[in-house]
Amino acid sequence: MRNRRLVLLGAAIFVCLVLLTVQSRGHGSRAADGLALVTTPIQTVLAKIHRGAVGVWSTYVDWKSVRAENRLLREEVQRLRVEGLRVNETSEENRRLRELLELRERLPLATLPGEVIAREWGGWVRSLTVNRGRGDQVTRLTAVISPEGLIGRVVDVRPGASIVQVLTDPASTVGGHVVRTRTQGIVEGDARGSMRLKFMARDGAGIEVGDVVVTSGLGGQFPRGIPVGRVRAIDNRGSALFHYAVLTPAVDFSRIDEVLLVTGESSDDVAALFRAKGR
Amino acid sequence: MRALLALTVFGGGVASAALTPALRIADVVPDIPLIIVILLALRRGPEFGCVGGFVAGLLQDAASGGLIGVQALTKSVIGFSIGALGGRLTVTQPLVQVPGLVLLTVAEGLARFAILQLFRFPAPFGELLTFVVVPQALYNGFLGAALVLALTWAESFRKTAS
Repeated sequence: MRNRRLVLLGAAIFVCLVLLTVQSRGHGSRAADGLALVTTPIQTVLAKIHRGAVGVWSTYVDWKSVRAENRLLREEVQRLRVEGLRVNETSEENRRLRELLELRERLPLATLPGEVIAREWGGWVRSLTVNRGRGDQVTRLTAVISPEGLIGRVVDVRPGASIVQVLTDPASTVGGHVVRTRTQGIVEGDARGSMRLKFMARDGAGIEVGDVVVTSGLGGQFPRGIPVGRVRAIDNRGSALFHYAVLTPAVDFSRIDEVLLVTGESSDDVAALFRAKGR
Repeated sequence: MRALLALTVFGGGVASAALTPALRIADVVPDIPLIIVILLALRRGPEFGCVGGFVAGLLQDAASGGLIGVQALTKSVIGFSIGALGGRLTVTQPLVQVPGLVLLTVAEGLARFAILQLFRFPAPFGELLTFVVVPQALYNGFLGAALVLALTWAESFRKTAS
């Protein structure tokens, strides 16, 4: 038994020494070639197994990393969306405030900026609540405007807020005239949420769809020339003495967020100071 | 024995090919075939160690593109020696196996260097010892210990299950 082991060891050493000797005498390539006949297939098999195992493993790792990456990217997209919305919102607010500020600087009137904090949009009442009240020296019937035009008037003043009756409120009436023809009339709101210019004399009215209507300044409540709306349709009542025009408001009341409360008085026509939207 | 030998060589080859790149730490790679040869020689005796070492070394020589027969020689001698001494040593404790693996790896490295010197191997001994042999020996020791612990745990689990 012991001899067998030693023979085995001796054989192994002998083979190794032969191999080394052969190589040292310059016949290494033959020895290598001979061994390669045996080892190359084994290496090929090992390589295939290794490659397969590595392939499976790397696929699994890739899958895991892709999953994790996917989750991270989703979160990133979500975050960026929210951020984008916030940026858009801020940018839009910035634009509105800039326009409001520009209008405030242009107008020959004392104004007070305010922010809409609530809306009442039922058919019975159409109003906005603005965060300026008694403490800000706001009085009843103060005109409320935006860069687009007239919003309405303050109908109720509270300690920290004011209620603004918008032009489409059924109870709202404002003296106005058509810029092109100087046709006078009364702008009043209706229950459908639009406005009408009433009491236009049939003779000499001559107004057309698209004409701009501004405040007349009569009565002293509103400065003259603030855009009120644009003629959308003309109602011809046949033989009636007066007829009326349906108006599209100059201001989109449902989207207004910042306003100017006109605290001063002026007899100047301010029509040219407002943004000429499609005029 | 032949089946186990074939399995050892083949499994060692697969393990070496698959795990060595993954186990590389700062350019130090473990000599997995040597660990397997030593551990199995301790259990199976000198014949197994000799033949297993010879075949594993030969494959490593062929795969590395160096002188064929160097590792076959060193590993067969190491395998035989540790297989022969295994019965006389208390080698069941990892605390013995780890230093043993370290020393055997160093011995194998020194033997390999000595053989290669005959063929005018150019690398300085000091550098080789510092940057190749000793780090690999330490790595082999810890990896071998982990392997021994894993085998022990697997055996105890198998016994419990049966």
